[in-house]
Amino acid sequence: MALAFDEFGRPFLILKEQDQKTRLRGLDAQKANIAAARPVARILRTSLGPKGMDKMLQSPDGDVTITNDGATILELMDVDNQIAKLLVELSRSQDYEIGDGTTGVVVMAGALLEEAEKLLDRGIHPIRIAEGYEMASRIAVEHLEHIAHKFDFGPTNIEPLVQTCMTTLSSKIVNRCKRSLAEISVKAVLAVADLERKDVNLDLIKVEGKVGGKLEDTELIYGIVVDKDMSHPQMPKRIEDAKIAILTCPFEPPKPKTKHKVDIDTVEKFQTLRQQEQKYFDDMVQKCKAGSLDSIYFLHIDVGATLVICQWGFDDEANHLLMHRNLPAVRWVGGVELELIAIATGGRIVPRFQELTPEKLGKAGLVREKSFGTTKDRMLYIEHCANSRAVTIFIRGGNKMMIEETKRSIHDSLCVARNLIRNNSIVYGGGSAEISCSLAVEAAADKYPGVEQYAIRAFADALDSLPMALAENSGLQPIETLSAVKSQQIKENNPCCGIDCNDVGTNDMREQNVFETLIGKQQQILLATQVVKMILKIDDVISPSDY
Amino acid sequence: MAAMLQPQIILLKEGTDTSQGKAQLLSNINACTVVADCVRTTLGPRGMDKLIHDEKGSTTISNDGATIMKLLDIVHPAAKILVDIAKSQDSEVGDGTTTVVLLAGEFLREAKPYIEEGVHPQNLIRSYRTASYLAIEKIKELAVSIEGKSLEEKKSLLARCAATTLSSKLIGGEKEFFAEMVVDAVIAIGDEDRLNMIGIKKVQGGNMRDSFLVNGVAFKKTFSYAGFEQQPKKFVNPKILLLNIELELKSEKENAEISGAKVVLSRLAIGDLATQYFADRDIFCAGRVTEEDLQRVAAATGGTVQTSVNNIIDEVLGSCEIFEEKQVGNERYNIFSGCPSGRTATIVLRGGADQFIEEAERSLHDAIMIVRRAMKNSTVAAGGGAIDMEISRYLRQHARTIAGKSQLFINSYAKALEVIPRQLCENAGFDATDVLNKLRQKHALPSGEGAPYGVDINTGGIADSFANFVWEPSVVKINAINAATEAACLILSVDETVKNPKSESAQGEAAAGAMGRGRGGAAFRGRGRGMRRR
Repeated sequence: MALAFDEFGRPFLILKEQDQKTRLRGLDAQKANIAAARPVARILRTSLGPKGMDKMLQSPDGDVTITNDGATILELMDVDNQIAKLLVELSRSQDYEIGDGTTGVVVMAGALLEEAEKLLDRGIHPIRIAEGYEMASRIAVEHLEHIAHKFDFGPTNIEPLVQTCMTTLSSKIVNRCKRSLAEISVKAVLAVADLERKDVNLDLIKVEGKVGGKLEDTELIYGIVVDKDMSHPQMPKRIEDAKIAILTCPFEPPKPKTKHKVDIDTVEKFQTLRQQEQKYFDDMVQKCKAGSLDSIYFLHIDVGATLVICQWGFDDEANHLLMHRNLPAVRWVGGVELELIAIATGGRIVPRFQELTPEKLGKAGLVREKSFGTTKDRMLYIEHCANSRAVTIFIRGGNKMMIEETKRSIHDSLCVARNLIRNNSIVYGGGSAEISCSLAVEAAADKYPGVEQYAIRAFADALDSLPMALAENSGLQPIETLSAVKSQQIKENNPCCGIDCNDVGTNDMREQNVFETLIGKQQQILLATQVVKMILKIDDVISPSDY
Repeated sequence: MAAMLQPQIILLKEGTDTSQGKAQLLSNINACTVVADCVRTTLGPRGMDKLIHDEKGSTTISNDGATIMKLLDIVHPAAKILVDIAKSQDSEVGDGTTTVVLLAGEFLREAKPYIEEGVHPQNLIRSYRTASYLAIEKIKELAVSIEGKSLEEKKSLLARCAATTLSSKLIGGEKEFFAEMVVDAVIAIGDEDRLNMIGIKKVQGGNMRDSFLVNGVAFKKTFSYAGFEQQPKKFVNPKILLLNIELELKSEKENAEISGAKVVLSRLAIGDLATQYFADRDIFCAGRVTEEDLQRVAAATGGTVQTSVNNIIDEVLGSCEIFEEKQVGNERYNIFSGCPSGRTATIVLRGGADQFIEEAERSLHDAIMIVRRAMKNSTVAAGGGAIDMEISRYLRQHARTIAGKSQLFINSYAKALEVIPRQLCENAGFDATDVLNKLRQKHALPSGEGAPYGVDINTGGIADSFANFVWEPSVVKINAINAATEAACLILSVDETVKNPKSESAQGEAAAGAMGRGRGGAAFRGRGRGMRRR
């Protein structure tokens, strides 16, 4: 930062470590900020849409992630620039709120900034641009509501939901079996949804993955899958109509925590000690047996449990006894899983033996252990639960990266299904909504007097960049395709015309069944505008110079 | 020869910077104007934001004068005074922090040519003081009282004040929405002096319009143990027990149940056993609630925080209409609404990026302060530079009646006040001189009808600010003028800076020195030195 001088040529320090700070002001600051944000958007641009490409990211410790989920890419890119970080947060907040459209929102913001730069070059005040964008975003959001369709679905008619989820999944690596995955996610969401309150707690859906098998083997389990096996190999592997006791107390006698010291100098003493020791040990075994036995007996006969799931462990002795009593048990089950099991089976978590009563047992139609492939891996399936409010999606896939990416894709489609349950309005995808908004904004622009008009028009251009990117990624002629679709929309007055990414042969997204949620799209536009406004408003960047 | 050999008298330690006299005064003024220039562009609805990035890597994007001044980390002793007045304006009225810095800078800039020409600073100071006194009297005279209106009317008036403040911020696009929210929140807490009764919670995601006001308390779901999900998540008219203990032992849990409470909150952890125990009995519990939130819940529900679970009587239990756990963005929130005492409000802010929400919070803080101020001394003045122009005109008129040097000084004080409308125009990209001349002409009308005219930020002309509802509480302006004049006078009255050469690294060395000395007397010298080196 330049030093300030007074009349007599003496420099004075105003800021702390002034010479180590850099400062950008005015138009330069805006230009620099836009320049920083653009490459980020450009990276994501190629990931957009069903024909979008994936990115491979390697973390400092060598972990490799392959994904085309915008939020994940940005998160792992570890950007340093402040403005670029804003974009990362932008996609993250889209992820938090909507779960899908994380790539689109960044591409949109990048396009808005690019347009803004042109306007800045023409000497338009940045705030006027920001205000224009804001007006335009309102027009666009209203227009979206106008072209949105409501559709009905019920527990029996899930087809529309599946179609929408398929649109989301089609851009992912798993699009090979998008149909089955979409069905799985819709069923999972409906299983945990509270349709009256329109609330879906995604915590109740557990997504578990295991390497091996193929993607098609992915299944939805109305119940819980736990990566544990029975505590004793000879215990039964299959229990029907299980009554489950869920315990959070350890299954073993308390161990004394004292130290002892014995001096032995004669043979007699040694013999007494040995006798003592033996006696003590006998007692202990008795007691221990009695203790554990009692509780096992209690569990088995009085309460009638046929399966014990324990948060903590129990020693081999108890294990043996359990085995003898023919009471299968699972040990070291994590807290979260325990909770899910409790919810699914309708049981109560019991912290103490004394509090165990028959009512507190959970019920499951079938508990089975399943082994996979040739490995010794086994997993415990708890199915046909009394209360199917907790479900598990069990993903199979060729390798770990594939499973991770599938998990992310499933998350996206779960979010989409959830959003539809909250608000059942949809717009058509394939860029058709953007093109339609762009036309509406363009038309509205002329009604605004003042400089804002230019900004509104620029907003319309920025909206075009999304379908443009879609066409580009699909290997179509972007400009040609876009203009053809645009004119078709106007000619037929049909807001459902979009880019035909999959070469189906029609531009009508209704026929292609490409849907997106209304709130997701609205959120994209609003969030992108918000962040762009924030970036445009900055005219002074003060930072340490080594950045 | 004799004179040359005369030994130099060393009064101060070597290396001491002794700038003094006129040169020092001018240097101080320059420093202050440089600082004022930093925040100049943030003024008004078309003001820009600053992005400040510190060594630790955290970033702040702000438009709030006080925040920027604080983060600039100013070390210049004279310029620091400006930071202080911005801070004091912030704590006193909450808004107008940019204005106050700008005014002080402008007063000094106007004073500079006179100082250069050799006017004694004390003369200037005296005239500035008189001028500020006159200005404040004039504001009081021009201010319009909103006392004695009905609640509904008052609410809309307050909302306008809040909207004026918010219009210059990042969330300006939604100012009506937020203004209403702020007014509701402030009215909810009533005359309560404790500002922390208005909680602001930030949840990333969503857009600004998704922000909402809870007439009660809301806080994020706390850390929970297994069993929590099985607890009921909604109660109507629950009894609420507030605790400040760890719930682990068995006996304690039972008491909590006996008392009939349905919601149990504790500042300390609630263990897994207890969580499952509560789940078993259909009681909701949350441990590790922050002190602040617990206080707010206590105030809202009328409960008292207990430090023991023995003998819990009904009086210490709070209640509210509805308790619910809700999904907000990616988080789950515990929301208590419809509280009997109604002395609390919580604003849940939503927004795209972290910095965005941070800035929104600062803006809302300003707006809340303004509304509270306006409620207390319920007079408002016209914004948009109108009041500044009117005072300026009045002072010029007054100056003509004074004989002597003072006339010039008061005139320049009046000129300095015009910086507000001028900067408003400049930030918006208007021709400042043109607009200012239009304003001067309007204000000079003998009928006085031009008094409420200010800059019209939308068209680039002038407009009646009062009719357009660009209002601000008069106390903001009064305080700003007072503080700015004080600061300017203070800087003008300094003619020497004595800087200790070591003062820059003083803290680090002092600490090390104290350690070495403290540790080792003569006997441990070697060791002491070793310590120091480390």
